[in-house]
Parts: sequence; C-alpha cells; structure tokens
Amino acid sequence: MNAPRHSLTTAIRLVLVDDHRMFRSGVKAELDESMLIVGEAGDVDEAIVVVAATRPDVVLLDVHLPGGNGHGGSDVITGSGSVTTGSGEPVRFLALSVSDAAEDVIAVIRAGARGYVTKTIGGQDLTEAIRRVADGDAVFSPRLAGFVLDAFGAAAGEVAVIDEELDRLSAREREVMRLIARGYQYKEVAKELFISIKTVETHVSSVLRKLQLSSRHELTAWAVGRHLL
Amino acid sequence: MERPVPGRHLAGVCAGLAEHLGLNVRYVRWAFLLSCLAGGAGIVAYLFLWALTPQSLGQDLTPGADEAATSRSAGEPVRNLVVGLGLLVVGGVFFAQQQGLNLRLGVLIPLLAVAAGAVLAWSKLDDAERDRWLARDTGSAGRRAGLIRLGIGITLATVGVVVLATQGRGLAGLWDVGIAAVAVLVGAALIAAPWGVRLWTDLRTEQTQRIRETERADIAAHLHDSVLQTLALIQRKAGDPAEVVRLARAQERELRGWLYAGPVGSQASLASAVTAVAHEVEDLRGIPIELVVTGDRTLDPGGTALVRALREALLNAVRHGAAPVSVYVEVGPGVVEAFVRDHGPGFDLADVPQDRFGVRESILGRMRRHGGSAGIRRLEHGTEVSITLPVTAAPDSMAQPDSAAASDSMAQPSSGSPADPPSSPETEGTR
Repeated sequence: MNAPRHSLTTAIRLVLVDDHRMFRSGVKAELDESMLIVGEAGDVDEAIVVVAATRPDVVLLDVHLPGGNGHGGSDVITGSGSVTTGSGEPVRFLALSVSDAAEDVIAVIRAGARGYVTKTIGGQDLTEAIRRVADGDAVFSPRLAGFVLDAFGAAAGEVAVIDEELDRLSAREREVMRLIARGYQYKEVAKELFISIKTVETHVSSVLRKLQLSSRHELTAWAVGRHLL
Repeated sequence: MERPVPGRHLAGVCAGLAEHLGLNVRYVRWAFLLSCLAGGAGIVAYLFLWALTPQSLGQDLTPGADEAATSRSAGEPVRNLVVGLGLLVVGGVFFAQQQGLNLRLGVLIPLLAVAAGAVLAWSKLDDAERDRWLARDTGSAGRRAGLIRLGIGITLATVGVVVLATQGRGLAGLWDVGIAAVAVLVGAALIAAPWGVRLWTDLRTEQTQRIRETERADIAAHLHDSVLQTLALIQRKAGDPAEVVRLARAQERELRGWLYAGPVGSQASLASAVTAVAHEVEDLRGIPIELVVTGDRTLDPGGTALVRALREALLNAVRHGAAPVSVYVEVGPGVVEAFVRDHGPGFDLADVPQDRFGVRESILGRMRRHGGSAGIRRLEHGTEVSITLPVTAAPDSMAQPDSAAASDSMAQPSSGSPADPPSSPETEGTR
C-alpha cells in the first residue's frame, strides 16, 4: 500500500466555493487543522480567479453556482483547467451538492471533478474525502455509485469483457460500486473483497475515468440535457 | 340578452330576443320577417342585434341536443343567411324595378358586394366562432376555411369599394385612384408602423410578465404551504432535537421531490414502494436513511414481500443500530437484492431470543416463503441485512443465469470466500 502523499502533518490547501456564506463557515468549523483554507469564493467568476491565484490542492465545489455560463460548478472546472499546484499536481475538485439529481452530478463529474459528496456529509467523512481527492483518488458517495451502476447498465447485468472497455464496468468494478452503494467505506470494501485499499482506489478511479470519458448513451444524454456537448 | 345556440335558425337573434322579452319565438320571427319588407328595417335590426349580443355559453341541455345543435351550427346558419339575404335582395330589387323606381344598380351592386364582404370577414370576429375553432382544434382545415372566408370577404369588399370609387371613370381613372389609394395606405402604414410594433411588443411583454407572475405565485404558494409551515413548526419545537431533525428531513424530502421530480414510475413499481417504506421509517424515528435504488420493475407479490421484509430490517436498523443507515436495492433482470446496513454495535441472530419474531419471521421466514432468501451479517461497524429475491421474468431469467448466480454469491458473502456456492435459504434461516 502506497503511503498517502498528504500525511497528517502536511496541511491540504483548500479553496471553498459555495454561494452560501453560512454553508462555507459551517464547513470551516467542521474541518480540522489538517486543512488550510486558502481561499473562498461565492460564484463562478470569483472562483476561477481565486483558484488561479491560490493554486490549492483541492477545491471544494458547490454544483449550483451563480455566474459563468450558467453551468455552475462545471464552469469553474473548465475555467481552471490548466491550473496546477506548487508541486505540479493538477488542482483537484470535489463536488458538493444538496442536489441528488443525476444530471447535476454526472455533469460536474464529466467536467472533471474527482468525486461527489452530499452536503449532509459529516465532518469526519468530509475530511477523509478531501484527503482522498488530494491524493488523486476518486470519491464516490453511495448515491453516485448507484447512478454509475444504473448508467452503465451494470445493475441489469452488463459487464465489460475487457477492463478497458469504456462503456461498461468490469466485474470487479461492479462489485466495488455495489459495495459502495451499500454504504461501505473503502477499507470495508477492501476487506470484503480481499483486496488492498489501494486496489479499491484504483478501481474507483478507473470507474471515474469511464464516467468521464464514456460515450454511453445514458451519460451523453445527461450531458446533452445540460448543454455540455 | 344572449343568443342561444340550440334551436336557432340563423344566429339565434330571434330566439334570444324572444327569451329576453318572454314572447313566443314564432311571433318574433314573423315580426322580423315582416319588418324586412318595410324597407329592410328587419335586416338591419337583425344584423345590429347579431353584432351586439353575445352568444350564450350556457349548456343547460341534453348532450344529444347539444351535439345536433353544434353540428347544425357549423355551416347551416351561414348558408341559410347568405341564401336568404340573396333571395331577399334580388326579390327586393326586382320589385323596386317593377314599381318604376330607378335603383341605380351600378351603385347598389357594389354596395351589396361591400356589405357581403364585410359580413363574411366580420363573422370571423364572432367570439363564439373563434372559441369553437380553438376548442375543436380542427387544425389546418378549420383555419384554412376561416382564412378562405376572410380572403373572399376582403376581396368582395375591395372590389365593391373600387367599383364604387371609380363610378363612370373607366380603367384610366381606376389606375389614378389605385395609385392614390396605395400611396395613402403606404403613408398611413409608415406612420402607424412604429405604434403598431410598440403595441405588439408591449402586449408580448405583458403576456410573458403575466406568465412569470403566475409561475412565481405557484412557487410562492408551494413554499408557503410547505417550507414556511415547517420552519414555523421547527421554531416552535426548537427544544426537541429529534422532532426538529424529523421535520427538517421530511421537508427536505418533500422539497426535493418537488424540485427534482424526475420521470416517476407508476405507484405500483418496486422502486417507489421501497422509497415509500424508507421515508416512512425515516419519519418514524427521525434517523436519516441513505437510499439508493437501481433499476425498477412492477410490484408483484414477491416484491411486496421483499418490501415488507425490508421495512422490518429498516425498523431494526433505526431502533437498534446507529446512523448512518444505508439501503441499497438493486433490481436486476434475474434477481432483486436489497441491503440494509447500519453502524450500530451489531448483533448475532443466535443471541436473539427464540420468542422474538421480528428478524426470524418477518425477514427470514417471509423471504423463504416467497422463494427468496435473507441473511444477517455482523460487520466490524454495524450490521447488514441482505435480502434476495429471484424474479421470474421469463425472458430475462432465461437469458442471464450467470449474473443471477454471481449476484447470489454476493448476497451472502458470509458463506466464506466468494467462490463458495451460495448457502441455501434453509441454512440461513436456522442460524
């Protein structure tokens, strides 16, 4: 198992993007000292400026934001596409939303977010999710896992013959997604499937990649509905 | 005074007048006919009343009669009117000629043409007629008929006016008059155009504004009925955290359903039944339940059993377990699987007293009776109840036996390594 690049001693530089000031202060209060909030923004244009100026490790991004081209969080991600952190890593985005609507979630993931969590998430879980995203891994909520299983037809029994196939999940990826949908943490998934946490992370990242690149009809239909293509 | 549709011959003026005055329709009709002979006063009076009285909208009659009346009204009155008027006029003219009166037909015919054209064109303005077209939605056919009528009317009137205006002048005069008329029309149009456009845009703006206001009022009404009420309740119950959480959660769900209501399946779908049960339990105990459902199918007896077992498992989870409670229901082509997971201290089925029926009967027994199976696992953090129900959708279960088998081994991972054959329902139940 590889050691995480962001150990507990190095603080993760974080930018909060949410149009509700109350929610931002709530998140700030919940995060521990391992997170260093270097900037905040309330709309798309402000967020792009702040991200470019502060070059954070992770941007905690609300899906629904005013400004930009009207696509909320997706616009921030496309607007700060080439920004890297001080160490040359790309800036990572973790989407945060009250909306459970599939098109919102899929849109922001396809724009490039590394994960999605709901706003009801606890402080502990949020910290863990941010750290995971900072390490370049993907974060899936149970609901997002459910979406993925549905969208890739995995729930209906479609399984990829070769792992690289973009329009289907491999059998292992399907199992990982199912366990996440059942509310399992990554380490519980690993224990359940007799694999390492790192392997779980690899599978989840692979699913994220498929989610972002696949041209499966269900996914592109969502994206078209949001005028993303 | 109104013009009734049923029982009318032309436009219902006589019938309406008779009703209004409390007289017999027959007398009124005869009076009109007779007054027509008095220099056409009856015709003028009739047209005047027709233009000024609205058609009655009352439908106080039997459906059959109504149908007959509307079908009659579709074309007959107009035809009657035209034929009758034509006959009257022709007769009147011949009568006058015979009496030695010089009626100057050169003036009279164009005048009649103008009048006929005006009637044809104006008849399109008849409110009732317009409503009927809209309501009936006869589409292009009805609209085309209307346009043809309007066109004929305008042509008739124009020809009449032109002939009248060019009395005794011939084609050269017609040319001059035509040019002058066109010039005047163009000038008037130029002057009036900005006003017209302005009026039009004003109208459009007002329309869109009204639509927006209606939408706004709808949203405001909904927020008032739901969110504001709940907020008021929460303020009053601020001392009771559990109740506040329950209220907030219920309201959140309601609002979410209203905002993001997607393509909701029929009430009788398995997914909607599962959702309803999860919400019910959530409301009961005020503990949030994370629900994920993939796929859907119609609710059959087996599905109902699964939903009931799921409900029992959920009740156990919120009663004995701890948040977060997760539910995952996967409706596959060959099998339906449900998982209820909590983060409580967990329990072993063996520790549950034999006289407690909750788990043993409501979950395990019920699923077994419906050809499914259920299992309970103790995890490091919490407990997971898994419920499996093979579905007998003939084509699918035939086509995908492999995926169903694979899912079975997933459903009962407690049976050891995933390679092991799935444990049978019986061993599950007696544990």
